[in-house]
Amino acid sequence: MSDPSPIPEPSDVDEAPPRRRVWAGPWRSVVLPLVVVAAIVGAIWYIESRGLPFVESGSSAGSGDYGPVALPPDRNPTGRDPSPEKERAAPDFLLETLDGGTLRLSDLQGKAVLVNFWATWCQPCRSELPHLVAAYDRYRQEGLEIVAVNLQEDGDTIAGFVEEFGMQFPVVIDRSGDVSDKYRVIGVPTSFFIDRSGVVRTIYTGPFVGQQSRQGIEESDLAQRIEEILR
Amino acid sequence: MRAVWRLFTSVRWALILLAFLALAGLLGVLLPQIPSTLRGDDVAVAAWLDTQQGKFGVFTDPFHRLGFFDVFHARWFAAGLGLLVVSVTVCTANRFFPIWRTIRQPQRRVPETFFQRAHHRVEFATPAEPLALEGALRRRRYRVERFQEGETTYLFADRFSWAQLGTFVSHLALIMFIAGALVSKFTGFSEDMFVGEGTTAPVFAVSNPNQMQVRVVDTVARFNPQGQPLDYRTELAIYQGGDEVKRCTATVNGPCVYSGYRFHQAAYFGFGAELQVRDVRSGNVIYKEVLALADSMPAPHVIVRDGEGRTLMDATLVLTDFVETAYGTTVTIPGSDRTMWIGVRPGESSGRLDLLAFEPGQQADAARLLLPEGQRASAGGLDFEFVSLQRLPASFEPGFPLPPDSAEDSPQGQVLLEMSNVVYGVEETSSGEAVSVPTQNGPPTLSVVGVSPTVLNLEPGQAASVGDYEYTFLGQREFAGIKVKRDRSDNLIWVGTGLLLGGLGITFYVPRRRLWAKITPERTYLAGVAGHLANFRREMGKLGAEAGSPDAAQEEEKDGSP
Repeated sequence: MSDPSPIPEPSDVDEAPPRRRVWAGPWRSVVLPLVVVAAIVGAIWYIESRGLPFVESGSSAGSGDYGPVALPPDRNPTGRDPSPEKERAAPDFLLETLDGGTLRLSDLQGKAVLVNFWATWCQPCRSELPHLVAAYDRYRQEGLEIVAVNLQEDGDTIAGFVEEFGMQFPVVIDRSGDVSDKYRVIGVPTSFFIDRSGVVRTIYTGPFVGQQSRQGIEESDLAQRIEEILR
Repeated sequence: MRAVWRLFTSVRWALILLAFLALAGLLGVLLPQIPSTLRGDDVAVAAWLDTQQGKFGVFTDPFHRLGFFDVFHARWFAAGLGLLVVSVTVCTANRFFPIWRTIRQPQRRVPETFFQRAHHRVEFATPAEPLALEGALRRRRYRVERFQEGETTYLFADRFSWAQLGTFVSHLALIMFIAGALVSKFTGFSEDMFVGEGTTAPVFAVSNPNQMQVRVVDTVARFNPQGQPLDYRTELAIYQGGDEVKRCTATVNGPCVYSGYRFHQAAYFGFGAELQVRDVRSGNVIYKEVLALADSMPAPHVIVRDGEGRTLMDATLVLTDFVETAYGTTVTIPGSDRTMWIGVRPGESSGRLDLLAFEPGQQADAARLLLPEGQRASAGGLDFEFVSLQRLPASFEPGFPLPPDSAEDSPQGQVLLEMSNVVYGVEETSSGEAVSVPTQNGPPTLSVVGVSPTVLNLEPGQAASVGDYEYTFLGQREFAGIKVKRDRSDNLIWVGTGLLLGGLGITFYVPRRRLWAKITPERTYLAGVAGHLANFRREMGKLGAEAGSPDAAQEEEKDGSP
C-alpha cells in the first residue's frame, strides 16, 4: 500500500475539546445552527398552537353546521355588513336548542329580540335570570323574544337550570363559542337588544339586577331597553 | 457574521454565560423575590417593596429597577438564557459533522513518528502474528482493518467510536432543559379555581376554543382522631363542547389530567351552604347558590343550671342581634318561663369577649351578669357557666333576595348567614354532594338573619316561607380549591433528563479506543488513543501476548505509562 501524501497525526489525540471550533463555512457554521434553533422554536409553536381536540357533541348530528351564518341580504336593512354594534344588522347564527331543534336568529325578524349570552356558572347571570323571566312574561305578548345563548355547557346542566328557574324563552347552546366570538362577548352576561328589523339598538354588559321586585318590572332599566326595541 | 459565529462557538463565551446565569440564580435564591400573586399589580408590588425598605434601605429601589427582586422573570435573565441556547446550539450543531465524520471515516493511518510519541504505546522485540492480533482485537469488539506494505503489516482498530456522540447528547440535553424553561415561561397556563360542590366553573374566561368547565361532584376531607387533616380529594367532571369528557378524582399529589391540563387539588374549604329561594307565586327558583361562609361569628358555649345544680340548658348559641358592641340572642331557658338576652361583648380591660346575660324587667331577681370565658357565676337564682367561646362560619350576603314586603326593613339588602353543627374534623366529611355525617348536636343548621323579624333556623332540606318567598337550606357543602395547570415543558424536561443521563453514561462508561499496530519482521509497535485515565498499555500487553509476542507478557505485568 502506498500513500504519497503525508499522514497527519490524529487530530484529537489529547482527547481535550478544542477551545474554539473551526469555521466550516456559512452553511454548516451559521445556517445549520439557525435551522436547528428554528426547528426547536417551530416544534414548540406547533405543540402550542394545535390546542385541544374540540369535542363534537355526541347528542346532535351535524353539530358542525351550528354557529355564525351569513345574513341573507334581504334581511339586512342597513346596507352594511352585519356587526355586533349599535345601528348595525345583528350577525346571524344558527344554533341548537335544548330540545334538539334549531334556532336561526334571522327567522325571528318581525319580533323584538333580546339576545342574552349567559352560563350557569356565572353568578351575575343567575342573579339576572329572574328579571329576564319576569320581563318575558310581561312583554311576550307585545312581540318580545328572548334568546338565551349558553356558552359551551352541557345540555343536562342547562336543562335542570332552565326548569328550576322557569325559563320559558328559547335557550340555545353555543358549543364551540364561535357565536360569542362573533358577537365579541368578553364577559357574561351580555345582552344585545335587536329591534324588529334585525338591527342592534343597544348593548348591555353586566347583569340587570335591582329593584323590580319592589317597583315592578316596568320601571327597570331592562324594561326601558325592551320597550325601545318593541316600538 | 464570522465574528458573531466565533463568539458563539467560543468555549470561554459559553462559560461566561453559564457563570452569569449561575450568579443570577444565586441572586434569585438569596434575595427575597416578589410573590407571584402580587406580580403585575403595581400597587401590591409597591406595598411589598415598602416591607423590604428596612432590609435594603436606599438599595431597594435600584434593586427593583434592576430586577433583582424578580430575577427569574427579568428580561436580562431571559436574554441570558436565550444567548446560552444559541451558544450551545451553535456549538452542538457545529460539532456534529466532525464527530460524525470521525465515526464514519476514522483515520486509519498514522505517521511513523506516532509509534514513538503516542501517549499510549508499547513496543515488542518480537513480531506479532497479524491474524492473531486481528482475532484478539475482534474478540474485544474492535472494528479492525489490515493493510500490508511490503513486509510490514499495519492494523487499525477502533471500538465504541459512536461513544463520541456522548458529549453531543449531553449538549442536546442542555438545549432541551433551556427550551423546556422557555416553553414553561411563555406557554405555561395556570389558573386557580374555587368551586363548591355541585357547581361548575369555567377554566378560561368566557369564550375560548379550548373552553372547559369543571364540575365539582364531591369533595371529601379526611381527618385523624385528633382532628388534623390527613388528605383531601375531589371528584371532578370535566366538560368540553357540551359533553362530559372526563370524570376523575384529584388529590393533592395525584392530579386529574385531561388533554395536557392538570387539575390539582390545591385547597379545601369545608364551610359552605347551599341555599335556594323560590317565588311561591310562580313556582320558579329565583336564587340558588352554594355560598362560602368565609367569615366567622362568635358563639358562646353556655351552661345554665338551676339553684339545685340541675342543667337547664347546655348549648352553643347562635348570635343574631347586634346592639352597639354586643352580639346576642333572645333565649328562653328550657324548663322555665324565663326569657333573657344572652350574648357577648368586649371586656373593658381585657378586650376579650365576655358573656353577657340580661333578663329584662324590674324584678329584683332578674338575671344580669358579665362573665369572662371559662368562669362560672350565679345571677337571678340561676348558675351560668361560660364554657368557651366558639366561632361559627358565617357570611354577610349583599343582594340576597328579600320578600317584597320586608325589603324596607333591611335597606342594605344584606342578610347574615351562620351555620352551626358544622361537620368538620371527622374521619371523612362526606359522601356524595351533601355533607351527611351527623354531629353530636344534630345536623348542620343554617341561621338566616335579616329576611324576617325572626331568625330562620333551617336544617338540611328544611324550608321556611316568608311572604311570597320560600327559603330552603339544601345542606352543608364543601369547596375545592383546584389549580389548573398546563406546562408542556414536562416532556422536554423528561427527554432532556434521559439525554443527559445517557450522554454522561456514554461519556464515562463506554470506553472508546483506537489502536494502530505496525508489525515488521523484527518488531511489533502498538500505539493508541484513549482517555488519559485509561490503562490502555496494559490492554496492549494482553493483545501482544495473545498475538504471539513472548515479551508482551512483561508489558502486561507493568502498570502505568511509559
